[in-house]
This record gives sequence, structure tokens and C-alpha cells, in this order.
Amino acid sequence: MVDTAARRSSRTEQTLSIPVQETRAQGVIGSSISIREVVKAYGTFRAADRISLEIQSGEFVTLLGPSGSGKTTLLNLLAGFQRLDGGEILIDGKPIHNVPTHRRGFGMVFQSYALFPNMTVAQNVGFPLRMAGVDRATSERRVAETLEMMRLSEHAKKAPTEMSGGQQQRVAIARAIVMRPKIVLMDEPLSALDRRLRESIQIEIRDLHQRIGSTILFVTHDQSEALTMSDRIAVMDAGHIVQFGRPTEIYRHPESRFVASFVGESNLIEADILQKRGTTMILRSRSGYVFQAESRSAPSEDHVTVLVRPERVVLHESASDATASTIVVSSLFLGEMLRIEVEMAGGERLLIRCPDAPGRSLPPVGSRLHVSWGAEDCWVLS
Amino acid sequence: MTHAPRLQEAAPSPRLTSPGLLKNPALLLVPAVVFLAVIYLLPLFDLARVSASGTPWWTHFERVFSVPLYWESLLRTMQIALIVAIICAVFGYPTALLIHRSRGIAQTLITAAIVLPYFIAILIRTYAWMVLLGRNGPINKFAMWLGLYDEPLGLLFNRGSVLLGIAAVLMPLMVLSIYSSLARLDPSLTRAALASGAGPLAVFWRVLLPLTLPGVGAGFLLVFVSALGFFITPTLLGGPSDQMFAMHITQQADSITGEGFLQALGVVLLIITLIVVGIAGRLLGLEFIWGGGKLSEAEVQPLKSSATSSAGSRRKLGAMIADAVGWPVLRLLGRLPAEWGTWTVRLMGGFVIFMLILPLLVVIVISFSKASYLTFPPAAYSLRWYEKFFSDSTWMTAFWNSLTIAALSACIAVTLGATAAMGIVRSSIRGKSVLMLLLVSPLIVPPVVLGLSLYSLFLRLDLVGTYWGLAAAHAIGGIPIVVVIVSASLQAVDRRLEQGAAVHGASPLTVFRTVTLPAIAPGLAAAVFFAFLHSFDELVLSLFLSSPRMRTLPLMLWADVNYQLNPVLAVVSTLEVLLVVGGIVLARPVLARSRGAT
Repeated sequence: MVDTAARRSSRTEQTLSIPVQETRAQGVIGSSISIREVVKAYGTFRAADRISLEIQSGEFVTLLGPSGSGKTTLLNLLAGFQRLDGGEILIDGKPIHNVPTHRRGFGMVFQSYALFPNMTVAQNVGFPLRMAGVDRATSERRVAETLEMMRLSEHAKKAPTEMSGGQQQRVAIARAIVMRPKIVLMDEPLSALDRRLRESIQIEIRDLHQRIGSTILFVTHDQSEALTMSDRIAVMDAGHIVQFGRPTEIYRHPESRFVASFVGESNLIEADILQKRGTTMILRSRSGYVFQAESRSAPSEDHVTVLVRPERVVLHESASDATASTIVVSSLFLGEMLRIEVEMAGGERLLIRCPDAPGRSLPPVGSRLHVSWGAEDCWVLS
Repeated sequence: MTHAPRLQEAAPSPRLTSPGLLKNPALLLVPAVVFLAVIYLLPLFDLARVSASGTPWWTHFERVFSVPLYWESLLRTMQIALIVAIICAVFGYPTALLIHRSRGIAQTLITAAIVLPYFIAILIRTYAWMVLLGRNGPINKFAMWLGLYDEPLGLLFNRGSVLLGIAAVLMPLMVLSIYSSLARLDPSLTRAALASGAGPLAVFWRVLLPLTLPGVGAGFLLVFVSALGFFITPTLLGGPSDQMFAMHITQQADSITGEGFLQALGVVLLIITLIVVGIAGRLLGLEFIWGGGKLSEAEVQPLKSSATSSAGSRRKLGAMIADAVGWPVLRLLGRLPAEWGTWTVRLMGGFVIFMLILPLLVVIVISFSKASYLTFPPAAYSLRWYEKFFSDSTWMTAFWNSLTIAALSACIAVTLGATAAMGIVRSSIRGKSVLMLLLVSPLIVPPVVLGLSLYSLFLRLDLVGTYWGLAAAHAIGGIPIVVVIVSASLQAVDRRLEQGAAVHGASPLTVFRTVTLPAIAPGLAAAVFFAFLHSFDELVLSLFLSSPRMRTLPLMLWADVNYQLNPVLAVVSTLEVLLVVGGIVLARPVLARSRGAT
């Protein structure tokens, strides 16, 4: 068992390692970005409220948050479309507040594509080169290379309006990277596309990042997009960054209820502490289910909120001391997953996701299910 | 294969059922079309017939083009119109940019400063310039106070004052035309260009200007065509050597000449106008006349491929010119600090706003003057001219005449125009664009020509100097205004709301009453106001069609302006400004509501 798992992981390693090494050979060209105590206010409303963020060179960082959380404001401040009301932004250690947008040398991709309708695809992609005064021959070569990279070569002479949404956005991406900028800003670039297209372009952008090595700052309100694409995610809410970390950290170890419920589906269980032994606790939920949990620090209160992700809830055939008895209130087949909602004693709702497997059937509404979760499946929110 | 027979079945079915025919919204077009055919097209055809009545038929036209007085005036008219259009484009673009870039209350104020003068009678705005540029006017006084010269200069009655006056009158048309195409742009296009390394000048040259060229073109042609038929402003501000073509028509109409030649003059002006509009229509699509989007019919036509190819070649040519000529110059200019561009826009835009608002302010101040002649600033203030206006029975009669005619005319225009707009937007008949063209074409026919053509009809029907006659004549120009406004608000109505109401059991009339009417109510109210204002301000048609017994307010003003410049005119102007401002302020909540909904 251990043996096969090890073998499998080593094989994945091998297949992955080839492209990774190639990109490292090309090297990281991205800049580091330091955002320090940045403030942007509209009257009394603070769209960005003392935001600080350190982004390393070549990183793929996503700003994730609901609309109005300040993520687009932050991107606009970085691009220079709006003026800072406080704080500073440093690129490779140099402040940029006096540099106008067109001299910042970033690439940018917009939600509405923002392709110039009066230019062909090739002219759109060549626009930044032309603005930089690159000579015609070099410019043509670079445009051709970039179009090739985005698999758009056969569309070079088309007008943007003749293309599909996905193609238009690939042109916009080509335009953003044609200068090999140190920083590429992407403002919800995929939200106008349908799901299938979105997923394929997600992968494309990810690959592109590996190949060109720019620092990418990506704005989205789609948490699954953020999880799949980013090196690190900055979760934003009401003008603040509420958590900044790797996707696994954000998903597994959210630091607040907001992050826990905004990223992924979650069960937030209110529980009383029955017993404390260092960081290990024995808890009792409102429904009376008693379980163990680990905490990073010993909580001072006798009451905590525990996050249990729906896929961590285990289903059992029969009741035992370690299980809670629940009643099914809804039961959905999602394809690769079953999504079951149950009610615990005391009315607490619990969401369960379990992978589809041979012989597994949807439990009928009203039937009884026995569930449990272990200490390693819980995350105690501070 | 399987689709074909089904389509054939579906196509003729609406024509076969007769109750369906009665319910066809295209029927709503009939009243307006009949009205315009009788009172607008017929007289124009008659005009053409009379003009060609000589033997041989071209006798009168030959005279137009052989007598230097006329063809020189024709050339002069085109030259003036061209220069005015250029002035308007050069100053109008920065002004439109200024509106586009400002936000909130500043934007509202600037827009108001541009739009407001547009709704004030041409006669009054021209009169204001006469005051401003007069010997004792504020400009002479100011320059002398500065010590630029000692004796007041004759600023009036020359080519410069004519160009200035016409450009000031038509400027709002250009600004609004450019602004509407700027406002339609995706704002992230500018940002994308900036992020791609384009400086402000490059953004303008490579992105904004090419994409708003249709708006500039539409504005240019509207201004050019309107200027061609100008009569009031050049008469009042021009000297003997600034005679424009339309002025000859009125002069000839006063002196009784042989029938035919007068009509030939009118036809020449009309044909030149139509040729310009025709060329413009080929380049821009005739929608430019009413500044609207394409009609729903046009979207269905699969024109796309051919349109893009011709647009493509035009684009290539444009790009070549832009590269060869404009770009090197801009590269040099690009070395200047970015603030210069911002300040150029602000200064030019500010100048335009100043030129539009200043004359009105001066006139308002003068209306409170105590002196019996025009001087600015007045030595003392009083309400004596207001008393004179309200106690003078001839002024008051004229005022009531104007109110009555305007009310009647608004009724006619709104009834016919609104039903026609319903018919245009909601029916699916062929030739919609032709019908729309007919409905809005009175906007481009020079009023002098229209007045001339109506005169003989009115004589025959004994309508000269009657309320109904004048109201109907004014409604010719009122209908296009109503059709444009109402069809725009109808197109903004979400058809799914109507379908939703119908699905839930509302009859067509109930749907109209409960869903459609409330949605277009702001548009209808605006249409009533502007149709009223159009008639209230109308001078040129009234010159031809009123009798000495029945005079309207603009006619009284016209007579007085030509006879003596006294402050009573300023009083009337102030009242008109109040009327327009009041109307717009009252309409603001309604307009704001409609804008919030879209």
C-alpha cells in the first residue's frame, strides 16, 4: 500500500519535473511588489484601508474577495488608474506613485477584453511594442511569436469583433505579455466566459506564467479559480486583506469565519469545550456530538467555532460511540460527487460531500445517516 | 431541408388573417405619414414643379447659376458652413472630452451649460451676440478698459461675427454628437492603451479619435447642413458681403418676382442639402441625422461581412494617413509634460462653455437696465422694461398667440409622433428605415425652403395667419423631435416585461397602460416639452405663414431686432431662458429616474 503510493507520487514528480525545469531555465523575470499601508478613500468610504502585501518576484498572486471588497481598487492603484490616498507601493524596492501608468511597463488584461476595435488582432498585440518605439522587424517577429504562443497565428489579420469571447481574451492576454513585462495585472479576465472555456484558459494562463516568469496579480471573485491558479491568495473583505497564504493554507486553515465560508463550502460548528489538555480539546457541539480537535493555541474561552469541510465528514453504516445520528434533508447527485445535507439533533445543518463510488446510492430524504469526523478533520477558528 | 417548408408556412400567415392586419402596429404609422405627405412632401413637390415650369424647364435654374449675385452667394454659403463646421469640430472635441472626463456635479453643470443654450431660440442667442459685440457692448468696453484700443471697434456686421454667431448656435450639436460616441466607448479601452505604454496623446490619437470619428463626422455634417440653411444669424450679424443663400430666398419672397425663379432658388438649396446628407448617409449610415442606433430591422440583415471588408480598407487608409502625418507630430508633442494636454482640454472646453453662457448672462443683466438704450453694464437697474413688456398689449397678444400655437402644435406633434414611434419600433414591416427617414427628414430641410413651399399651399387653403395653420406647420419640425425621443425610450423598454405581463393575463391595452406607458412617460414628457418649445421659438416658417393681424412672439422680436435694439428684447430673452431652465429643472427628476432605470 505504502509502496504503490510512493511509486505513484514519484511518477507524478517525473512527469511534472520536465516542464518545470524548462521554465526555470528561462528564469524569473518578474518584479517584487511591496504594498505598504495603502489607503484609497471615496469620501468617508475606504475602498482600501491600510492594505499591506508583499509579493515576491515571479509569484502568481490572486486577490480574492466579494464585489466591493477592494480588490479591483488595489489593482487600479497598482496600474496607476487611481491615485493613492496614503501609503506606498514599491516595485523592486522603488516607489511608483510618481510614475504615470504608461511608463510603468505592466501588462494588463481586462474583464471586457478591451481590445481596440479599430485594429486587427496583430495590431492589437503589437500596440505596446509600437508605443515603446520598437522597430518594425523586431515588432513583427515578437507579435508572431506571441500569437504563436497563444495559438492565435491564423487569426492575426482578423478584427477582434469577428472572434469568440475566449479568443478575444487570448488576444488580450497576448497583448499583455508581448513586452514580457515584469508584472501582469489581470482584472477578472475570465468572468465573462462560460465555465468550460474558463477552465481551459485557467490552465493556459497557469502555463504561461511558468513560461514567461512574470509576476502575475490576478483578481477574481471565484474562489475555485483562485485555489487552482495561485501560488498565494490574498483574501479581501471590506478594504482589508483578511488572509494571505498558499491555497492549501487558505482552504485548510482559514483564520476567520469569513475566509472559511467564502473559500469553499464549509460547516461551521459551534462547540463548547468539555476538556482541555494543552492544545488538544474535547468538544461538544450543540447537537450533543462529542469530538476531539487540535488547536494551535490554547483558547481562553470555553466556546469555539470549528470548521469541518463537507468532504471530511465520514459516513458510517451503523451507529457507534464515535458517530452522530442525523436525518437527511436533501440529497443531490453531482456527477463525481454526492452532496448530502443532513440535520443533526438540535436542528444544526451539516453539509456532506463524498465521492461517487460503485454501489454507492443516494440516501433518501428523511432517512438516517451516521456521521463522524476526527481531530485531524477539524480546524478550530480563533 | 426540413426547415425550409416550415419557414414558408410561417412567413405569409400574418398577412392572411384580417384581424391580425388591424392589430398590426404598422397601422400606427399611418396618421403621421399621411400628415407629412400632405403638409410637407406635397408642398415640396409642388415647389419643385413650379421651379421647373419655365420654358425650357431649366430657365430659372440657369439664371441661378448665371447671375453672379446668386452663385457667388451659394459658394459663400458653402464656405461659411464649412468653416463653421471646422470651428465646431476643433472646439467641440475638447469640450466633449471635458464632459466625458468630469464626474458628478461638475459633469452635470458642464452638460447643462452646453445643452441649455441649444434649447434657446436662435433669434435670442443671435440677439445676445449683437448686444455683446455692439459698439457699447461689454467686449468693446472691456477691451478699452484694458487699453487695447481707444475707440470702440465695429465688431458686428462682418464675416467674423457671422462665423462666430453660427458656430456658437450650432456648437452644442457637435459637442453632443461627439460626447455620445465617447460615452459609448468601453472605458477600459483607454486604460488598456495606457497600460500598454501609450501616453495621453497616443491614447487620443490611436484609440479615442479613431473610435469617435463617426461621432465627429456626424456632428460635422449636421453642423454643415444646418449652417447651409441659416438665415436669422447671418441676417442679423452679417454685413452686405456676407449674404447667405437662404437670405436671397426671403428677400426674393418679399419683392414680387416672376413665379418660378424664387422656387428655383429654394430647390437649389434643398438639393445641395440633400446631396450632402446623401453622401453623409453613405459614409455614416443615415442614422446620423437622429443620432440614434440602428433600427432593429437593420440588425437582422446579414450585412456584417461586406461591411467589415469595406470598413477594413477604409481603416487601412486612415491608419496610413495617421502614421505618415499625425504620428511624427505627436511624437514631438509627446515630449511636453502630460499636464499640457489636460490643460488644453480644460481651456478649450472652458472657452466654449464661456462663449455659450456669457451672451445669455449679459442679456439677462441688460433686461434689468434702467437706460432706454443698450449698454453694458447698465448704469442703473430697474424693472421698467418688464413693466413695459407686460403692459404693452401688442407684446402680450403676441405672447398669447405664441403660447396657443405652441400648445396646439405640441398636441399635433406628440399625437402623431408618438404613435408613429410606436409603429416604427414595434412593427416588423419592411422599409422601416425609409419611413424613419421620412419622419425625421424635416430636421434637415432648410426652414426657408419649407416656409416657401408651404406658403402657396397655405394661400390656397386660406390657412395663412391662422392658429391651426401655424400649429400644423410647426408640427412638421416637432414630429421628428417627438419620434426620436419616444422611439429611443420605447427601445429602452425591456420587451420581456411586456411579455411577462401578457403571459400573466394582461390584455394588449392593459400591457400598454401598466408596463409600456409608465416606462416611456419620461420620454413622452420630454417630447411634449421640446415640441412645445420648437413651436414657441419658431421664426422662419412664421415669417412666411403669418399675417400682419396675427403675430407671434418671435415675429415681434424679429421686427424689433431689425428696427431698434431695445431692452424689451432682453426681457423676452430672459423669460425664454427662465422657461427653458424651468422646464429642464422640472424634468430633471423624471430624467434622472429614467436614466437610473437604464
